[in-house]
Amino acid sequence: MSVNYLRSQFDLCSGCESCLLVCSSRAAGGYNPRLARMKVLKEKENLLSRPQVCTQCENPFCMHACPVTAISKEENSGVVLIDKEKCTGCGSCIESCPDKMIQFDQEGKADKCDLCGGRPLCVQYCVPGALKLVEKQEVSANE
Amino acid sequence: MNRSCTMEKLLYVNLSKKQVTEITINHRLEEEFVGGKGFGAKILYDLLPPGCDPLSPQNVLMFMTGPLTGTLAPAMRGCVVTKSPLTGTFADSYFGGHFAQEIRYCGFDGIIITGKAAESSYLWISDGTASIHPAQEIWGLDTFAAVEKIRELVGDQSVKTACIGPAGENMVSHALINCEYNRHAGRGGTGAVMGAKNLKAIALRGTKTLAPADQNGFMTIVDQAYKELAESEEVQSFNSDGTAGSIDFANLEQLLPTYNYYDGTYNEATRLNGEAQRRTFWLRNTACAACPIACGKVGSIRRGRHKGLISDVVEYETAAMLGSNLGISDIREVAYLVKKCDALGLDGMSAGGVAGFAIEAFQKGLLNSGDTEGHPLEFGNVSAVDYLLEKIAFRSGIGNLLAKGVKEAAKELNRGAEDFAVHVKGLESPAWGPRSVPGMGLALATADRGGCHQRALPVLYEIGGEWKGEMVERHGLKYKGEIVVHQQNYLAALDTLVKCDFGQYGIKAETYCHLMETALGRPWDVEKLMKLGDKIWNQIRLFNLREGFSREDDTLPKRFTEEPLPEGPYQGELITKTNLDQMLDDYYAVRGWDDFGKPTEDKLKELGLEAMPTLVQIPTGNQ
Repeated sequence: MSVNYLRSQFDLCSGCESCLLVCSSRAAGGYNPRLARMKVLKEKENLLSRPQVCTQCENPFCMHACPVTAISKEENSGVVLIDKEKCTGCGSCIESCPDKMIQFDQEGKADKCDLCGGRPLCVQYCVPGALKLVEKQEVSANE
Repeated sequence: MNRSCTMEKLLYVNLSKKQVTEITINHRLEEEFVGGKGFGAKILYDLLPPGCDPLSPQNVLMFMTGPLTGTLAPAMRGCVVTKSPLTGTFADSYFGGHFAQEIRYCGFDGIIITGKAAESSYLWISDGTASIHPAQEIWGLDTFAAVEKIRELVGDQSVKTACIGPAGENMVSHALINCEYNRHAGRGGTGAVMGAKNLKAIALRGTKTLAPADQNGFMTIVDQAYKELAESEEVQSFNSDGTAGSIDFANLEQLLPTYNYYDGTYNEATRLNGEAQRRTFWLRNTACAACPIACGKVGSIRRGRHKGLISDVVEYETAAMLGSNLGISDIREVAYLVKKCDALGLDGMSAGGVAGFAIEAFQKGLLNSGDTEGHPLEFGNVSAVDYLLEKIAFRSGIGNLLAKGVKEAAKELNRGAEDFAVHVKGLESPAWGPRSVPGMGLALATADRGGCHQRALPVLYEIGGEWKGEMVERHGLKYKGEIVVHQQNYLAALDTLVKCDFGQYGIKAETYCHLMETALGRPWDVEKLMKLGDKIWNQIRLFNLREGFSREDDTLPKRFTEEPLPEGPYQGELITKTNLDQMLDDYYAVRGWDDFGKPTEDKLKELGLEAMPTLVQIPTGNQ
């Protein structure tokens, strides 16, 4: 399995937030952009909309911060996942993520983007194409 | 979470008593009026005493949503409903952006505001909790600064806001409500009603969710709607050029107002169109909540004295009303004037109409430089318009007269000023000069809120469309009544959702019905939709009749009925009074109204309006 990640582009984002709606529906069972596992930041009188997504870090701060090893990076896909059974809801991961990509779910457990298991809804419903699922390619420095 | 896409509650705010109360929505209101325009029509009729002064505490200012607002259903909006200080009629004014969605996320399907705050105030709703706060720090600020300040006051950059500018505070009859940033409830003076209530702003933050009754079914229909939008040529045009794409079309068809509607063609129209705007400032597409159309084109002016000014697309109406109608062809200057209107909280369409009227009055000697502190009012003079906008918003000097709109201003100026006051029922006409398209004239004459192109736009039928399998004759009168009634009913029904005008170019009627079915969990079909629109249209007519309007008010300004188009391909065209009368007769007959424009008893019976009880009452203790 290849390692994929979400790429977001401010230049194409229209700020419609459909990504947030489909995401919230999956994450929270109903539509509300505030409950999505990603954000769209608006700047300068809406001149800019910046979609902010979990980049499935190679060196996930959240994973290191978790005191009960509830967060792991899946070897094949590279997706950083939370084991809800293990999560105690302490919030350490939430504090550790500089992009604020983790929040509590309705049960008080840490919750984050899981790339919808491989076919992210946010990408499917991004009509302007500002969100893409991109395959990671390693290019060595001395090639 | 409620799995049928309704919050089942309205928030009732009495500013005089500083009380907030929840109203449980009457099941019958939901069944029979659905939301948005429907709710507004019924509630305004139920709550307002006849003849109520629009700027008095008794008037109600409502922010309504539809059952699909806030969901993934594409292109849904909200509306403000009130009694208009500009026209004295029912007024509904629609806004995009994200404000209406947030009303729902706060747990309400709408907000009803009445009374008048003792001091300048703002309303803060955080989830289900609403509170009224002093607004001294925001009062006096322009709309852009006000948004920043509100966010600071509530300590949250993510709140959604609606606010008025100085024009609303000063109760300018054509003041708007800004719904952050380039989205407004623009028409009919809703901002003046908000100002009269001493309410500067509303800030919202909600975490409640909306879920369709049948989630999987709903998604299938959303996908269908996306497909229909993608396949529509009109929608593709909105996506590429926004409404600025209409400038070339209107110019070619001689519908573009120039020099206070003197003509319908502007020889510098290409300097205002989509291409000119793209070259001058556009950077990217912007969209309202859950909208794949993205008709907004935001950017920053690249060169000249307004370098750095951030502007959304100068959409067709304002490009025409503040551009060609005033003889101003530099798109950067028009963008500047539009933004000035937005900041001051003036409706750019009415402001353009008012400025055009003032310039003509000056030319004709009804105003002189003594009235304008030495500023010569002339077409093509940006600084003169700049001056007028400032004066109007603050109601100083000549601005106090013009703040009343062209109808009242013409009445006060007298001496023939009414001959070139272009309005219907007091609402400054939109940028669709109808002289060569009589159906459009009928649409303007019969629109519920006064001169409006959004209730019906028969132009598209008149320039080569078909009706009942027959080519529609542009200049003829045949079918014009039928077409206008059909469009008014259909669009009124969709305004209960609350649809975007552009979405309906792609999304089919059946698809709207399926969206409603899967979201609400009850059956809908096109026949029911058309009947809903008919009922709402009649409900609003009952309101306007109760306010004293009659057949005489379903008319057009003299400029359209007595002054033929002076040149161009449609030279000599006008809508004579006789033709207008004939179209009105046809229209009333199709509507089931009598010769005076009053719904017959049979019609009211057919629609179930004859014995319709009051469905919303003022909560106890709030009278």
